[in-house]
Formats: sequence, C-alpha cells, structure tokens
Amino acid sequence: MKFVIEEFTYVLIICVLIINALISIYGIVYRRSLTKKLLSLTVLSDTVFVAIILAGFIFTYPIVPPVYSDIRGADKDFLLNHASDPLPQALVLTGIVIGLAVNALIAFGIIQVYRLTGTIDARKAVKSLLEEGVE
Amino acid sequence: MKRVIILISILAVTLLSSLVISFVAEITVPRSLRDLSKYYIANTIIDTASPESVAAIVWDYRGLDTVYETLVLYLAIVGGLAIFTIKGGFPRGEPMGLTELSRNATKIIVLLIATVSAAIAFHGHLTPGGGFPGGSALAVATMLIIPVYSVNILLEKGITSTKLVAIRGFALTGLGLVALLPVVKGLEIVTNQKFYPGFLNGVVISGSISLYNLLEFLAVASGFTAVALYLSIPEELYKGEVRD
Amino acid sequence: MIITILILLAFSLLSLVFVYMAITERDLLKATAFSAGQSICYAVILQAMGAADIVMTYVAVSVGLYSALLIFVISKTERFEEVSSR
Repeated sequence: MKFVIEEFTYVLIICVLIINALISIYGIVYRRSLTKKLLSLTVLSDTVFVAIILAGFIFTYPIVPPVYSDIRGADKDFLLNHASDPLPQALVLTGIVIGLAVNALIAFGIIQVYRLTGTIDARKAVKSLLEEGVE
Repeated sequence: MKRVIILISILAVTLLSSLVISFVAEITVPRSLRDLSKYYIANTIIDTASPESVAAIVWDYRGLDTVYETLVLYLAIVGGLAIFTIKGGFPRGEPMGLTELSRNATKIIVLLIATVSAAIAFHGHLTPGGGFPGGSALAVATMLIIPVYSVNILLEKGITSTKLVAIRGFALTGLGLVALLPVVKGLEIVTNQKFYPGFLNGVVISGSISLYNLLEFLAVASGFTAVALYLSIPEELYKGEVRD
Repeated sequence: MIITILILLAFSLLSLVFVYMAITERDLLKATAFSAGQSICYAVILQAMGAADIVMTYVAVSVGLYSALLIFVISKTERFEEVSSR
C-alpha cells in the first residue's frame, strides 16, 4: 500500500501544478484587467518554480536540506541519501528575486498606462492609446 | 454559485485523473539523487569551504550566472524608477501615521525583522539563507514602515531615494570587483578558493561567498526599498506632469 | 513518512482552490488575499520537499512583497475588474 500512495501523491502534485498553470494562463489571456494579468503572471511563475523543485524531489524519509551540520563533513553519507537536490534550488533562488524585480517593472508600467489612459482594461487602454497616436 | 460548482468539478477531475493515471501507468517515483547533485553535495566542502551546497552552487559553481542575474535585477529596477522620476526631486511632508499602539508594536516587529534578515544574510554560507532571502526580508520591514509611519519618517531618518540608488551602485560595483579581482593573478573570473581564504582566524568565511552574500544583501534590500519609496508617492503629483 | 505525504496531498489540493478563487475573483483586493493564501500553500509544499533555502526567499517575496506591490498598484488604479461583455 505504501508504494501506491507515494505514486498517487507524485501524480496528483503534477496534475495540480498543470491545472494551476492552465488556470493562470486563462487569467493572463482572457481576463481584461491589467492588474489581474499581473497577478496571474505571479501565480504562473510560482507554479513553474514549484515544478522545478519537484523535479529534484526524492521520496526518502526524513528529507533534509543539503546543508552539512559542521565544516568537517561528518554526516556525508546521511546527506547523500536524505538530502534534497541542491541544483534546482540554486536555479529557483535567483529566479524568484529576479522575477520580483521584473514584475515590479510591469507594475510601474501598469500605473503609467492608468495615468495616460484612465483605465486598466486592456482593450480600452489599447484603443485609447491608438486614437491618441492617430491624432 | 457557478464558481463553486466549477471549482468542485475541477477538483473532482484532478483527483480522478491522478487516481486513474497512478493505477494504469507504471510510474516509478525517484528515490535517489542524480549523479551531478551527488557530486555537488559530496564536494562542496573541499571545493568551496562552505557546508551549504546551495550557496556553493549559487556563488561558486554557477557564480558567473548569478553575477549577471544581479545585473538584470539592477536594470529592471532602474527601468521602473526611470518611469517614476518626477521634476523637482522627491516630495516631502509632515510625518503622519496610525495610532500610538500600532506604532510601538511595529517598532518591535521591524527591529526583529531587521535582526533576522541580517542573520539570514551573514550566515548564508553556513545555514540556509543568503543575500537574496536576507535582502527581501529587510525590504519587507520597510514595506511595513510605510503604511504605519508614512513615508516621511523614512525620509527624515535619511533613507532617501538618492542614497538608496547610491548604495545599489556601490553594491553592484563591489560584486563586480570581487568577481574580477582573481583575473589580476591570472586566474579565471569568479574564482573562489584559489584566491580568497576559506578561513579567517579560525572562523569559516568560505572565501568570496560571504562577501557576495553581504553585497547582494545590500543590493536587493536597497533596490526593493527604492521601489517601495517611489510607489508611495501620492498620485496627485503626477497628474500635472502627465498633462504637460 | 505518512505526514510528509499527507501534507503534500492536502496543500497541493488547497493551492488549486486558492488559485481558482484568485483568478476568478472580480474584487482585486480579495484576489490579492487569495494569491497570498496560494503562496502560503506553495511554501508549505516546498518545506515538505526539503527546500529550506527557497522557503526563506519565497515567503518574504511572495507573501510579503508581491502582496504589497499589488496593493500599491490597486490603490493607485481601480479596485474592481470590469465585467466582460462577451
């Protein structure tokens, strides 16, 4: 029974992440408010980060962070069998902060669009900006 | 009501499909690490003098990537601030804020967050943490000060946008210097153990990793504090500028 | 062992609920709150996967800074999303 529930958990997390990504893509594409598009983008990036961490997840108990408890490296054998994968963590660690900076840039852009057009509805904003360009 | 029905159906579809897949398809769950990750975990102390393999990968094995990503962070925030620049410098006003009770509570909490963020950053080569988490934790503290104390108290204490941009420039220059210094001795760029000492007076400093963590802490914290300062400028000031 | 499995199961399903509520909510402030809830679920999942470094960054950024950023944007623009007329 043990192996069945582990496989079920693995498949369920993958399914949930796929559906979360699909829902947030729906939010980016079909929702008309620019703020909602930004929120959906943050949810999508978070989902992708969790998926990358899942790629390095191993089913072992207990699972610990890949950090030695002393500088001499006495617990090396324990870590090699029970540590989580450090490489995806290192990739995601920088990705989270860079994503925040880029999303802050997008947020500044949304506020600027609101100042210029008076709306955060994507279609109305584009229409208004195009009309100004024609004049 | 329609939302709840759709939500329940999505949940049911997810549960059913994963049940079916886990019974029909022959899935083997991963039980051991890849060889590359095993190499990183086994050799981190020998190669980088840091017991933290994630910090070792971030700042030593893949150090050049992280230096360039810091550049991307710098450019993204500079681009945002360029949109928000206003004529005549940063506006000043009287300090306002919430009641005495919430101010005192916030004082304690901000002190705690600042201490914890410094601990996270400066122990980044020994324990989980580092420059990125510490810097974002410190930025949370300023995000907490702004609604409770109003932005003017920050400006009165001398945390102005000019100073923050200067600190960011200093931190980025320091990162570049730490990365470039080994070239003088003919080593590769972003070299750690061959150039920087792993131990100082018997204290583990893991070569350049602690330096990188300190500078990255300054860069991330000042960058996001600058974003918060510019976002808290009242919108009325911009209306005249946009019409001009 | 069973606790790790149960935490992973429960919080992944809960995150789906939060994501759905956040994306379909018309009041953007409420949507921001749901998004913060989704971030907490992901943080618990990451901790159960043994990624302690990520959790530290992720909690500060995704629960703290993203929520503050979105609330700043909402306070400077509009609070309610318009109903699509299709």
